[in-house]
Formats: sequence, structure tokens, C-alpha cells
Amino acid sequence: MSLTALSNDQRDALQELTNIAMGQAGASLATLLDEFVDLSVPRIRVVEVVDLPPVLADLVGKTNLVSAVRQSFQGYLRGEAIIIFGEPGCQALADLMGFEGELGESGENELLLDVANVLSGACLGGMMEQIRNFTETNGPAELSFSMPLVMARQVMAEQLIDPQKVQWSHALLLEVNFTIKNRDFIAHLTMLMPEDGIEKIRGIIDEFIAAF
Amino acid sequence: MSLPILVVDDSAMARKMLIKSLPPDWDVEISQAENGVQAIEAYRAGKAAVMFLDLTMPVLDGFGVLEALRKEDLNSMVIVVSADIQPVAQERVMSMGAIAFVKKPVSSELISNVLKQYGVI
Amino acid sequence: MSGEAFSFNLAETVVKWLDVGIFVLDKNFEVQLWNNFMAHHSGRAADEVVGKNLFEAFPDLPKPWFTKKVNTVFLLNNFAFISWENRPFLFRFAHNRPITGGADHMYQNCMLLPLKAEQGKPEAVCVMVFDATDTAIAQNLLKEALEAISEISNRDGLTGIYNRRYLENRLSSEFDRTRRYGGTFSMVLFDLDFFKKVNDTYGHLAGDKVLVEIAARMKAQLRTSDVLGRYGGEEFILILPETPREGAHLFADRLREMIELEPVIYDNITIPVTVSMGVTEHQADMPSYTSMTHQSDLALYASKAAGRNRVTCYDPSLEKLAADKH
Repeated sequence: MSLTALSNDQRDALQELTNIAMGQAGASLATLLDEFVDLSVPRIRVVEVVDLPPVLADLVGKTNLVSAVRQSFQGYLRGEAIIIFGEPGCQALADLMGFEGELGESGENELLLDVANVLSGACLGGMMEQIRNFTETNGPAELSFSMPLVMARQVMAEQLIDPQKVQWSHALLLEVNFTIKNRDFIAHLTMLMPEDGIEKIRGIIDEFIAAF
Repeated sequence: MSLPILVVDDSAMARKMLIKSLPPDWDVEISQAENGVQAIEAYRAGKAAVMFLDLTMPVLDGFGVLEALRKEDLNSMVIVVSADIQPVAQERVMSMGAIAFVKKPVSSELISNVLKQYGVI
Repeated sequence: MSGEAFSFNLAETVVKWLDVGIFVLDKNFEVQLWNNFMAHHSGRAADEVVGKNLFEAFPDLPKPWFTKKVNTVFLLNNFAFISWENRPFLFRFAHNRPITGGADHMYQNCMLLPLKAEQGKPEAVCVMVFDATDTAIAQNLLKEALEAISEISNRDGLTGIYNRRYLENRLSSEFDRTRRYGGTFSMVLFDLDFFKKVNDTYGHLAGDKVLVEIAARMKAQLRTSDVLGRYGGEEFILILPETPREGAHLFADRLREMIELEPVIYDNITIPVTVSMGVTEHQADMPSYTSMTHQSDLALYASKAAGRNRVTCYDPSLEKLAADKH
């Protein structure tokens, strides 16, 4: 479906836009956890919703158990951020945040929600900032976020999304990940946007490219 | 003779953004590299008196390039240009021989300040 | 923002009256704004609270945790959220839902926003407090209902002990667990001797009473880990985790004797009751849990054949009885 394809130049520009935004998210996470965070090269996929489970599994690792948080965003762009944590790192999180002793499931959930919220807020907020700088926007380039919610604990990545329950037919998927190597910690921030978002992003990217 | 400078970044967009922010009257011959391995090749070919280096790249990242240059008796003024703004990242690159760290998105003002500071322009 | 058509400040009025708690803290945690929701629910008016340190005005607040939460917003310039599911409330307010709801306080969701001029650093944090009591009550009711349904589907309607469905599942999982992690467990299959005669002589209601009474007496003797269920009309299974056959045999015999010694009274009629029992223990070479039911079944048959009112432990010599049964 030609509507949903991005050209190489557009992909490259979107990747750079995401890269700039994720730097801020990485710095926020580093401040929160007081550890150096390794940033990944952003990955972009345009998928049919039915392919989301294997694509996610491919991005995150097929055989690993993960926990995930979802948070919707709306405003200039709308979509859903899904923050996927590798399982061994979840345990490390309490330690990283300076909690001693046993946390219990509720306490662990709260940490996952807090970290997820920091990552999505900083990264998407960072993208909005770039968009404001480089483009003439129709309407304010602002986003608001809904409360983050725990989606799943200790499941396979492929089980996270049930395509039957998703209202969209296509999605634009941006993925970045943040690793703390010596703590075995990894958090993937995947930002999903529906078809109308893809068109809007295409327009933004074209303006971004034209500015240089 | 034009000063040979190298712009290293896996993103064509990022290279364009950087090149656009260079001082307009600077007499330079610009080469580009997509990853650390290409960067080192260009350096060895004498094309990188000044190098603008991204950190997050596939194949060989910015840290890898700095490491390699150090071993080859660093003969390039390396300015790291990165979205990774963690203070630890900045300290690390400076200690590995970079002369400056510029945050993305770059501004012409920032770039020209750094170049002036090191007597390049 | 407009509202200039009015004689009052539109935004201020809305913030004041909105049915959501709104308060603002500066970097020193001094209250800068306190709307009516906060005033009415806390019992402290705005002029009492504004300008004061929040924790001095409300010493019961969880200070270290909330300080950390707010400071993260100042530091990272990001929204933050608090969910009732992790922390039921920030302020302990009374709720205004029906008293039959099952909640004794207001459940709250909170949102924290950094407040700043345009692109600057946050100078204050706005905290919004949403009443989530309805959601919390509904969620708790749902949880209770699901638990009840789960219980019903696993229980025998007459006696209240577990049913066959649950017993099969439990035997299977106990079997798998033992095979994977080691240890042992035993199973006692027993039934009421001459139960058909009880029903024929005294009627079905008497028969029901016997079943209920026997189940209750047995249940009272169990350890917390033991599982008692009704397997068939007058057939029961007792699963004894971490118990080898000798211990199971002893325990079974004690139960058998307890039942023999005390008849069941129904409507002034004394009904003597005895049980026959078959015991077996998990063996490493068993292919599946059905081996356990097969073996205890043979042992039970042996008890019947030998005169009833006794306990028999399975041993391989009993296999010849399998032919006799058919």
C-alpha cells in the first residue's frame, strides 16, 4: 500500500529526529538511575497491524521474557508508547532506584511505570521540541499523555499485542532502546502511530528535510 | 589549499544538518563517512584535519573511532556531535581525545564558537 | 486563552470549582494554590494552607516518597503519574460514594505537571488529584466475583469440598511438580460402605446428610496443604502432599476409625457409617497421574474384597485383581 511507505530519505530523516529526541530520554534515565545509559540507533518499521507481534518479537528478542507498560499520547500526534523491559533488568531496577530489600509486585510495578513515563515523556517531548524548531506547524506541536498502565509481566514479546483487538490497520513503529550493560538492564521504547499519523509524520519529515 | 574536514554520521540527514551549520566562508573540502570504519579510512587518507564525529553509529561507533585514533597518534581535531547529552558521555569523549562536544541539534553559533576557540577559524 | 467577555477571571474560576483536586507547590514544597476540592475534602481552607510547607500542614503525608516524586518532575521537566493501584491515596480523604460500596476512603489517581514559562525550567509543580473510588470499588468487586466464580466451579455443591474437576487438575499438577522438583505425595481413594443401602433404607435426604457430615469431619482433620474432594457419588479423594505411604496409611486409618466410632444422626435416626480406603504413593516411574488413580482404585477394591471398613496400601501383587474387577 503506497500510502504507508516512507522513502529512504524520509526514513533517514525520521531516524535522525528520533535520535535527537532519544538523547534527552537517555539523559533523563541516566539522571534517574545514576548510571551511564547506552543509546541504540533508532529503528523504523511500517507494518500491518497483524504483523505487530512478530515485528515486536524481532525487535526485542524472541526468547526473552519481558514486562511491558503502555501509555497513550494525543494532541499534535496520537498513538501509543509501549515500553518493554527485559526481565532480568526489572529486578535490577529497584536496586538502581535505590530501594533496599524486597519490593513486592505493586512496588515493582510502580517503578516500571515511573521509568516508562520518563522515557516516553522525554522522547516524545523531545520530538515535539524539534518539530517546533524546524517546521511551521498547523496548531501547537504539543502532546498530552495518559496515565501509564502495566500491560504484562513476564511474558514473551510476541504475546504483548493481540492484533484482533487493535483498531488500526497499519502502524508506524519507532523503536529505540536504552541499555545499562553492567546491570543487565534494557528498556525498549516503541512508539506506535496509526495510519493518519503516518501521513502527518510524512508531512513533518518533508518540512524537516527542506529546512536543510 | 582547502582544509580537509570529515563529517561522520550514519544519518545523511544529520550530515546535511551539520554541513549547513558550518561557517559559510570557511575554505574546506568536505568528505563524509557513514560509520566508524569509513571514518578511519578517510582519516588515514588525510581527509580529516578536523573531524565532526557522531557517537551512535552501527559497525563502529564514535567511541570506537576515538579509541582507534588514539592508537594511531591522534592527528585530527575531533569535535563530537551527538544527541547523547549525558555528562558522562561528554567526559568520556573529552578524556579520549576529543577537543569539544556539541549537542544535537547543532547550531551555527555553537560550531563557530568551538572553531574559534581552537583557532581553526 | 480568552474569557475576556466575562466580569470574572474565567480560568481562575474554573480551577477553583473543578471537581478535581488542584494544588501547586514551589521548589520548597510551599503551597501556592489550593482549590475548593482540596479545601473541602481536607477541611483546610486555602488561606490556611497557601504559603505553608505542605508537609507541615499535612504531617500524615508520605513525605520521602512524595518528595522524590515531585523532585523528579522538577529535575526531568516531565509529567508524572500516581495510580491508585500502587498507592491507594495521596491524601486520606473521605469518599462520597454510597456507604455500602466497600471502600472506607477515597481512592486517588494523581497527575503531576511541571509549570514553567515557555521553554524554561520548571518553577512549580501542579498536582491534580482525581477521585478514583468508583473504579477502585468496581475493580475490587470484579476481583471478588471472579474469585467466587472460580471457587464455585471447583466446589461440590452438596458438601462444599472440592469437586472432581478440581481433583483431576490438582492431581495432575501435584504429579508434575513432584516429577520436576522431587519430593513425594500420596493419594487416598475412599468410599462409604453400603451407601446404596443407606439411601434405600433411610431415604436420599439421609444419604445426603451422611455425605455432608463425613466430608465435614474429614475436613476438620486435615493439614492446610491437604486436599479433600468428592470424586463421585459416594467416592472421595484425599491428596496428601509431602507424605509417603506409611504416613498416609496411618492418617487414613485414623480417619477410618474416627468415622466408624461415631455414627451419623439424621432426624433422630442413628446411621452407622464405615469407609473402605485405598492408598498409594507417587513413584518416579509412573507415566502419568492416572497411574495413581489406577493403583488406589485397586487398593480400594482390595479393601472391599477383604471385608470393608479397612485401609489397604497398593502393592504390585494387587494387579491381578484388575482382571477380577472386569
